[in-house]
Amino acid sequence: MISANREAKVTVTNLTKSFGDLLVLNDVNFNVGDGEFLCIVGPTGCGKTTFLNLLSKLMPPSKGNICINGEIADPKKHNISFVFQEPSCLPWRTVKENIAYGMEVKKLPQQEIEERLEKTMKLVGLTDCANLYPNQISSSMEQRVAIARAFAAKPDLLLMDEPYGQLDVKLRYYLEDELIRIWQEFKTTVIFVTHNIEEAVYLAERVLILSNKPTTIKAELKVDLPRPRNFLDPEFVEIRKKVTELIRWW
Amino acid sequence: MENSKDRLILKILPYLGILAVLVIWELIVDLGIVPNTLLASPIQVVKLFFIKLNTADPDGAVLAVHIATSLKEALLGYSLALIIGIPLGLAMGWFVIVEGLARPIFEMIRPIPPVAWIPLAIFWFGIGLTGKAFIIWASGVVPCVINSFVGVRMTNPTFIRMARTYGASDWEIFKQICIPSALPMVFGGLQVALAASWTALVAAELIAADTGLGFLITMGRRLLMPDMIVLGMLMVGLTGVVIGVIVDKVEKRLVAGVRR
Ligand SMILES: Nc1ncnc2c1ncn2[C@@H]1O[C@H](COP(=O)(O)OP(=O)(O)OP(=O)(O)O)[C@@H](O)[C@H]1O
Ligand SMILES: [Mg+2]
Repeated sequence: MISANREAKVTVTNLTKSFGDLLVLNDVNFNVGDGEFLCIVGPTGCGKTTFLNLLSKLMPPSKGNICINGEIADPKKHNISFVFQEPSCLPWRTVKENIAYGMEVKKLPQQEIEERLEKTMKLVGLTDCANLYPNQISSSMEQRVAIARAFAAKPDLLLMDEPYGQLDVKLRYYLEDELIRIWQEFKTTVIFVTHNIEEAVYLAERVLILSNKPTTIKAELKVDLPRPRNFLDPEFVEIRKKVTELIRWW
Repeated sequence: MENSKDRLILKILPYLGILAVLVIWELIVDLGIVPNTLLASPIQVVKLFFIKLNTADPDGAVLAVHIATSLKEALLGYSLALIIGIPLGLAMGWFVIVEGLARPIFEMIRPIPPVAWIPLAIFWFGIGLTGKAFIIWASGVVPCVINSFVGVRMTNPTFIRMARTYGASDWEIFKQICIPSALPMVFGGLQVALAASWTALVAAELIAADTGLGFLITMGRRLLMPDMIVLGMLMVGLTGVVIGVIVDKVEKRLVAGVRR
């Protein structure tokens, strides 16, 4: 399922989740390659957030396994970062302290933390507001803080749940480019969930398309376009149409 | 022009109100509308205030001693309430075991009015400092527990999930996420607990004491001195306001330190 030249970093087998009688995820199987940027698109309410909650072990699955590097995933052992849809900056910490939070939990040496802080803040353009508090910056900045915090922890697996859902289009384009830059710099394995098809095709190396509930993977599509991508490029439009078709079909 | 005149009037009004009450009060007593044995006039109260500044008679202690006694009892009980109530409430908010153990006992004790503890407290500790500190503790600890508990419970669940995905342990989440997030609520409880403590203190002293502001009021009744009763009441109010202001200042400092 993944590019031949890459090892599977994350293996998901028979993943199933039901809430009482409601079967949300039905026997989901897939792999993610090391350093891959994977997008997952699906209709609203199909269980995308549930899916990420299972991957991050915030919720126990009803059945099935998630393995990272061949071992059952465990946030205490593996390095997982999660960028939530809602704002998640701690209001009592400055921008800098917020970005450091994940690394503090991992108990990295102070010097390492400082080095990564400097690098990440430069990449995300937050150096100037290092000492501001979240209530002093805009909500798009807050989301960038959350993203910087996620990357700075150098996760084995980075989960992103529609992080740009609430932002306006122009800002989103900008942040998507920025995201790709950081990803290329850190070589992180990313699973990015969205219901925005254009966003998925713009970002992903591979797109997984989910069905309605009970949710399974209905299709998978490689996006082999050079970066930076162009929304108007006929090839891009072609792929976008294909994904739209696939979603509509079911 | 209009505006500054309006503002001046608004500034003067409260003083006018107080003055009017004092004058009417003085007149009511002076004209004998209410007999002097039932109510003292403001002038009499002020006179007694200056007398009590350095005279121990007839109740056995000068004013400063009464105030000091009350303050000592209040601060002891109040700080014990904070020291025990805040950690307990915080822990109850996060640790299921602590909540399971402490919640039923707390819910049982909570509806008992603090003054209902007075007889037992006298029975156990006598009428000295310990007994009163206990009663004040009992009344101050309840708001401390409640506010800390609610503060932790109101922690944004996304923050907790965020910490958990980075691999934080329950204890780390409690320390790094729940406590800072609950602090504004905890500080809010300081005032509530203070008001509860101060009320309970006076009630306790009314019933059992040998010095203190509540005792001064009781002595006024026993000695048939309405001016002493009123003086005691005024001192209770004034001292209460002063500590209230101090706690408010401290609270503002602390909240500013938390930066929300
Ligand atoms: N804790 C829960 N208990 C019961 N049902 C739940 C729970 N969490 C989610 N569900 C149900 O599971 C389904 C999928 O929810 P989920 O939030 O994962 O969808 P989603 O794809 O993320 O939706 P959206 O696009 O709106 O973000 C929904 O029908 C929801 O009602
Ligand atoms: Mg969702």
